[in-house]
Parts: sequence; structure tokens; C-alpha cells
Amino acid sequence: MRLLATLVLEAKPEEDVNKQEILAVFEDAASRPLAYAQAWKDRTGGKVVGSFPMNFPGEIAHAAGTLPMILQESDDAITLGHGLLFPFYCGYTRSMVDQAARQEFNVLDAIMFGDHCVQLLGMADAIRMQLPDTKVIFFQLISSMCDPWTFGRAVESFEVLKNELEEFLGSKISDEAMHESTKIFNRNRQMIRKLYEMRKSGAVSLSAVEMQHIVKSSMIMDKVDHNKLLEQFMAYVEANPEPEPKGIRLHLSGHFCQAPKREVLDMIEDCGAIIVGDDLYHGFRYISTDVDEAGKPVEALAKWYMERNTGVPCPTRVQNDVDWDSFLLKAMEQEKAAGMIVLMAKFCEPHMYYYPEVKEAFEKKGVPHLLIETEHESMAIEGLKTRVETFLEIVKRRQAA
Amino acid sequence: MNIAVQEKKANKLKSTRIAGKLVNDYWEMVWRAKEEGKLVCWYEGSAINPFLEAADICWVHGEAYSAMLAARHQEVKAQQAAEERGYMKELCSYARTHLGCAVTNQRNRNDADTGVSNAPDDDDLAAKLPAPDMIISAYAYCSTGQQWDEMTSRLFGKKVPIFNVSIPWVWGSKPDAGYLRGQEWDETSKYVARQLEDMVKFIEEQTGKPYPWDRLRAMMADIKTASKLRLEAMDMCTARPAPASFFDWVVSIAPINNLPVPGIVDYFTAVRDEVAARVATGEGAVPKEKYRLFFDGIMNWNKVGWLAEKFARYDAAVICGRYTHMAFWQEPDLINANDPLLGMAQNYLICPNNHAAPILIDLIMDLCKKFEVDGMVIHASRTCRAFTNPQFLIADAATKRLGIQTSMFEGDVTDESFYKDELLNSRVEAMLEAIDSRRMVA
Ligand code: SF4
Ligand code: SF4
Repeated sequence: MRLLATLVLEAKPEEDVNKQEILAVFEDAASRPLAYAQAWKDRTGGKVVGSFPMNFPGEIAHAAGTLPMILQESDDAITLGHGLLFPFYCGYTRSMVDQAARQEFNVLDAIMFGDHCVQLLGMADAIRMQLPDTKVIFFQLISSMCDPWTFGRAVESFEVLKNELEEFLGSKISDEAMHESTKIFNRNRQMIRKLYEMRKSGAVSLSAVEMQHIVKSSMIMDKVDHNKLLEQFMAYVEANPEPEPKGIRLHLSGHFCQAPKREVLDMIEDCGAIIVGDDLYHGFRYISTDVDEAGKPVEALAKWYMERNTGVPCPTRVQNDVDWDSFLLKAMEQEKAAGMIVLMAKFCEPHMYYYPEVKEAFEKKGVPHLLIETEHESMAIEGLKTRVETFLEIVKRRQAA
Repeated sequence: MNIAVQEKKANKLKSTRIAGKLVNDYWEMVWRAKEEGKLVCWYEGSAINPFLEAADICWVHGEAYSAMLAARHQEVKAQQAAEERGYMKELCSYARTHLGCAVTNQRNRNDADTGVSNAPDDDDLAAKLPAPDMIISAYAYCSTGQQWDEMTSRLFGKKVPIFNVSIPWVWGSKPDAGYLRGQEWDETSKYVARQLEDMVKFIEEQTGKPYPWDRLRAMMADIKTASKLRLEAMDMCTARPAPASFFDWVVSIAPINNLPVPGIVDYFTAVRDEVAARVATGEGAVPKEKYRLFFDGIMNWNKVGWLAEKFARYDAAVICGRYTHMAFWQEPDLINANDPLLGMAQNYLICPNNHAAPILIDLIMDLCKKFEVDGMVIHASRTCRAFTNPQFLIADAATKRLGIQTSMFEGDVTDESFYKDELLNSRVEAMLEAIDSRRMVA
């Protein structure tokens, strides 16, 4: 199987590549992550290390010379997974065990994770049982983020994770390699953040799905290749300005471990909205924060881990001195967003816990928002469309008032 | 009522009846706490109550409060209050019920501030729960537990001091890993013990007094004794017929888990003696023990007595379970009463979910073998995913390794609406029939 990434990177001179072609490469990798991993493996002979969302730093695995990849929910209907997790689990966990049960993760040499959402733990146990030959490395990251010992414990945890990976690979990961990988990852995040800024100011026209493909493919692809493509992409969009997109400016919030489905995002925009900002994991949350490029790499990761949650608070952590709702209201102000759509993966407990805080804060401020629960299985888009249209009418009326 | 039906009633332990009174006395003490000028601490999960009780702080275990409301069929009001604030039905119902109490409490306080007379009526148990002066979060395994505490703190405007203890999951992938052994176990135990030391400092800050370590040591000595008595009595249930049932052990959770320590040694002495007497006379927990079952999953608190009767009618003795037999000061020998922190930390690490599936499943299989069960009933509690996480893996191991029948039913910890009686009936009956046919073949 040939991947578009290789075709574009190898076959075309830089100046000939246009926006849509690069987006097609991102989409290709985003839609077939495991095929991408297999092609990368065939090409390089390297090892592939999968990780679970949302806080495992790929830098460690990259510095070890492997391909770090955040494992993704698949679009396929759940079959064998039904025998491993109950239907009242979030789509991400159910899809993941389903893929494991179908032996689709055979391309992975190891899996690493540090998050401990309760459903994720159930998923991890089931996956380990399905993949007896795959090394699954776990060390729980501290999730209370503002204790005096949070930093120290985070350092310890990243140290253990790094040591375990070294043990598995049989080689040490040097500080130099860590610094190098950090630079590459930072560069990647910075470019995507720049795109976010450009989208906000209207300097680039990117639909929600296109933005998702950019971020999602970054979770999957070799970061060096992704950076090359992003550089070409930036050069192209800067040289070829497009008319500013028109529509009701919205912020998209929520959806953690899995990417929101294309049909939902398209439907929202088809109703007359434009997405000008988000805090989705397959969005701004993933690229929000850089890692220090100097100093002790593991300490830099611990700092990153903490700063990330202060920057874009995550409901899977507990941090008494930051508020997700205030972050959202502030982000929307900067984005000049007139309303927010909350995408909540059905059964996602961390999100269900925090939603009342968000709802209360938004109601108090008079900022309109709409909650949409999403499901792994197909959703009744027509019904949702009516709700979104009504919501957009409300937003318009508020704007006019 | 005919005689046959009478004969099929669950033969509950008499000695556990006192648990009801002890529980009532304890909650009365909680409801009086503010009047008596006591500090109130809310906590969920791990049994940190001896730390608080020793320091004369009134302790409120969130699950225990929700379970009490459900057992008294008074949970709905609290759950509605939570729902009104936007907590969705798919959230842990223990948490929802308890958060509903917090919502009610805050509402009443706000009303009082604005001059609206809204004094809680004395029968409204959701409103009666005294607000916390501090929160300690020490939840093993389940992220939902930690978030529940965080939300409680937010509901009280983040004005209540909160202390977080992180209790990591024991993943056990190293070659030396196993139950109570290996590098991971040792390091994790010490990590939690260190945090308990800090927690004691937090308690000192709240009370403004030096921590009374002697009282804690004395309490831990009693807990150790009570725990050993409990385990001794449980062990006697290898007898046929089994003298006590899983449901008797469910009733005995509060005494070991969150009731005042004075009194629990007497309670478990009485239980142990009664169980021993039953073994001596051959008296069983069900009148006619035909099947011996393992119960996997957390309890349906609004259904305890009801389920006990249901299984008794099927001549099924539910003898042991993950919830009762793998938790609650389960490893008393780890506790050194003179220097209790490490042993307490280790007991917190042994909640019935906090070991990854391979270790957990081995423990469950051992229990099934020890008590010679013929089948396994699995309660898939809709909103407690901590318990449902490994259930398919457990069922699979029970069938493949022990060749026993399993049967799953849907229910919930405190939200009755998830419970499906017909499903339970038909599935349990199918399982018992399968056991019968296997016996006939054998
Ligand atoms: S955080 Fe939400 S989406 Fe992620 S595993 Fe947990 S329940 Fe699923
Ligand atoms: S989901 Fe279960 S384990 Fe988790 S907080 Fe609720 S009752 Fe406790």
C-alpha cells in the first residue's frame, strides 16, 4: 500500500504542492493510522510505540528512535469488542478493545500510557489480555495538579516510563536525543498554533474537519515528515491568501480521547457556522503547550505536563486553582466567538462531571452554548441539525440584541 | 403463605442485626456534629476514617451516605437535586447522590443568605448532611472518585480545604509483580505512606492540635483484631452448608469500613461466634443449599435484602464476592499497630479493583476454588465502571479455568432505574439449570 505522505514528500518539488494536496496527505494518515504505521515500519525497519490519550509525551518514544503514535478510535462498528467491554463505555475505549480483539494492533511493538481515566484502565486491561506479545508499559501520572509534590511525582513518573522504554528497547535515550525530539515536537506545535491564530484572524480558511486532519495526523505521522508538510502548507497558505470565511463564529469544546466525527463537524458548518477556536483533544488541547528545550528533559516534560493543564484545563485532572469554564469564556472572547458547541462523547465521565460548572458559568454570563452528545455508532444527524439551526438562530438574535 | 415458601427464606445471621443500630447511631452522631462543635470531613473511597476519628473529626464517607439513602429508599431526592444542576444519569450514582446532598446543602445556605426560610425538614436526609469543613480525597483506582471530591470542593465554592492522596493502580507488568509483592508494590506502598504522613500534617493544620498518634495506634490495633475476626468467620464458610452468605458480609461492611472503631471488635466477635456455632450444628445461610455462588460486582444498595431472599428461593447460597472478600482492611497482617502508616497505605492499595486484571483474576479464581462455588453471578453496575471494567475477563477466566457457569445482570449501586429484574431472573435460572445438567452428566 502506498501512502499519500510518501508520494507527496518524495515525488513532487516543494513549490508544486498546493494546500488541498497536503490536506489530502494529512487526511490519509488521519484516516488510516495503522496502515501509516505499517508503511513507516516497512520503510524504516523501526519500532512503533502506540500510546493512549491524553498526556503521554511522544517525545520520549521519538527520542528512542521509534514512531510514537496516539492510538485512535476507528470508524468501524464494534464487533468482538462487545465481548470485552460493556456498551455503557465511551466510544474510544470500546473501539480500542475492538481493534485489539481483531488483532489490528499487531503493528505495534509496545504501548505506553500514564493516564488513568477509569474507563481507560478497563480498556488497558482488556487490551493487554488480547495482545500477549505486545509490551504494555504503564505508570500512573499524578492527576492532582496543584499539590506541592505534583512536580516531583511527575518527574518520577516520566523517569519510570522512560526507563521502562529503554529496558524494552535495550538502549539508553540520551539527553541530546530528548532535546532534539523536543525541538521537533515544539516546531510542530508552533506551526499548528500559528494556523490556529490564522484561522482566528481569518487569514486562512480551514474547516473543522481540515483542522482535525492536521492535528490528528500529527498524532500519527513521523513528526519530521509532518513538519516538512506543515512548512510547505504554511508557505502555500501565506502566499495564497483566500477570502475570509463568513458565518457565525463558534468555539468547539470537549471531546477528549476520540476525534469528533466528520459528519457532525460538517453538519455544524453547513448550518452556517464557522469554527474559530476549539479546545478539543484532536485540536488545540494537543498542541497548546511547548516543552523547554534546555535543561533536564524529564523535568521539562513534568513542567510541560503541569503547564498544559493550566493553559487548557482538562477535566481528567483535578486542579483547584484553574477553571475550565473561565478558560473557555476567555478563549471565546479572544476568538470573538459568539457561541460554543460542547461535544461530549457519550459516557465520558470526566466531561459529565465538569459540564455543570461550564453550563452554570455560561448561563451566568449569558453566553449561548449547545450540548451535543456524540456516539461511536451512527448518529441521527438530521435531528441534530435542527437543534444546531435553532441554536444558531439564538446566537444570531443575541448578537443582534 | 405456605410452609414451602417460609422454608425458603434467607437465614440471615442474627448477630448482624446490631449493625443496623450501630449504623443509625453513627449517622445520628454525624447529624449532631455541628451542634457539638465538631469539624466535619468528607471523604470517599479509602477508609481513612481512623485518622479522623482519632483526631476527633466527624467523618462522612460519601459512598456510605449514598448507600444509606438508597437502603432507606431516600436516594431519589438527592439524585434529583444533582440532576437539576446538570449531573447526568450516566455518572456514578454514588457520586450523584452525594453531590445531590451538597447541592441541596448549598441551596439551603444560599436561600438562608437571601432571607428565604428554607430550613431543611428533619426527614430530608439529603439536606441533613452537615457541610464539610475539609475534604480528603484518597480514592484507589477510580478516577471518578477523585473527580467527585473535586466537584464537591467546587460546589462549596472552593472554600473548603481539600487534600489529595494519590493511590496509583498496581499494573504489575514486571516479572517480579504479583499480589503484595514486587518492586512496584513496594515502591507504591511507600509512596502512599509518605502521602499519609502529609495528610496527617493537613489534619493538624485543620484542628490546630498535634496529631494524637497514640489514639490512632490503639484504633488500628482494634481494626486489626476486628478484621481478623471477620476473615476467620468468612473462612468458616467453606463449610457445607455455608453458615453465612455474601449478603451477611454486605451488612457487615459498614462496621469494618466506616463505623466508630469502639464496638467493632465486639461486633465481629459476635459474628464469628455465631458463624462457628452454625458450622457446629450444620445450619446454613439458606435453608436448602443446592448451589454455591460467587458474586462479582459492587452491591445494589437498594436491593440487599431483596436479593438475599431471591437467591434463597433458588436454594442458592451466595457465599463470597469480590466486593466483600477482597476489600475493607483485607490484609490485617500488614498492619503494625505501633507503626501503622505503611500497612494502612497497603490496605488502601488493595481495594477490589486496584490491581490489574491478571492479579485480580487470580485472586478471584482462588476464592472460587476455596469456597467450592458452582457458579458466578456478575452484577454489571451501570454507573460503577470501576467494578465492571474487568468483568468480561473474569467471566472468561471462570469458564475457562474453573469450568463454572457465569451469569450477568444489569443493575446499579444506588440508581434503581438501571436494575432489570426479569433479566436477573431468567439469567440466574438459566445458570442454575446449566449447573443441574452438568451435575447430571457428571
Ligand atoms: S476521558 Fe472520556 S473519552 Fe477518554 S477514556 Fe475516559 S471516558 Fe473515554
Ligand atoms: S464509579 Fe464506582 S469506584 Fe468509582 S467513585 Fe463511583 S462507586 Fe466509587
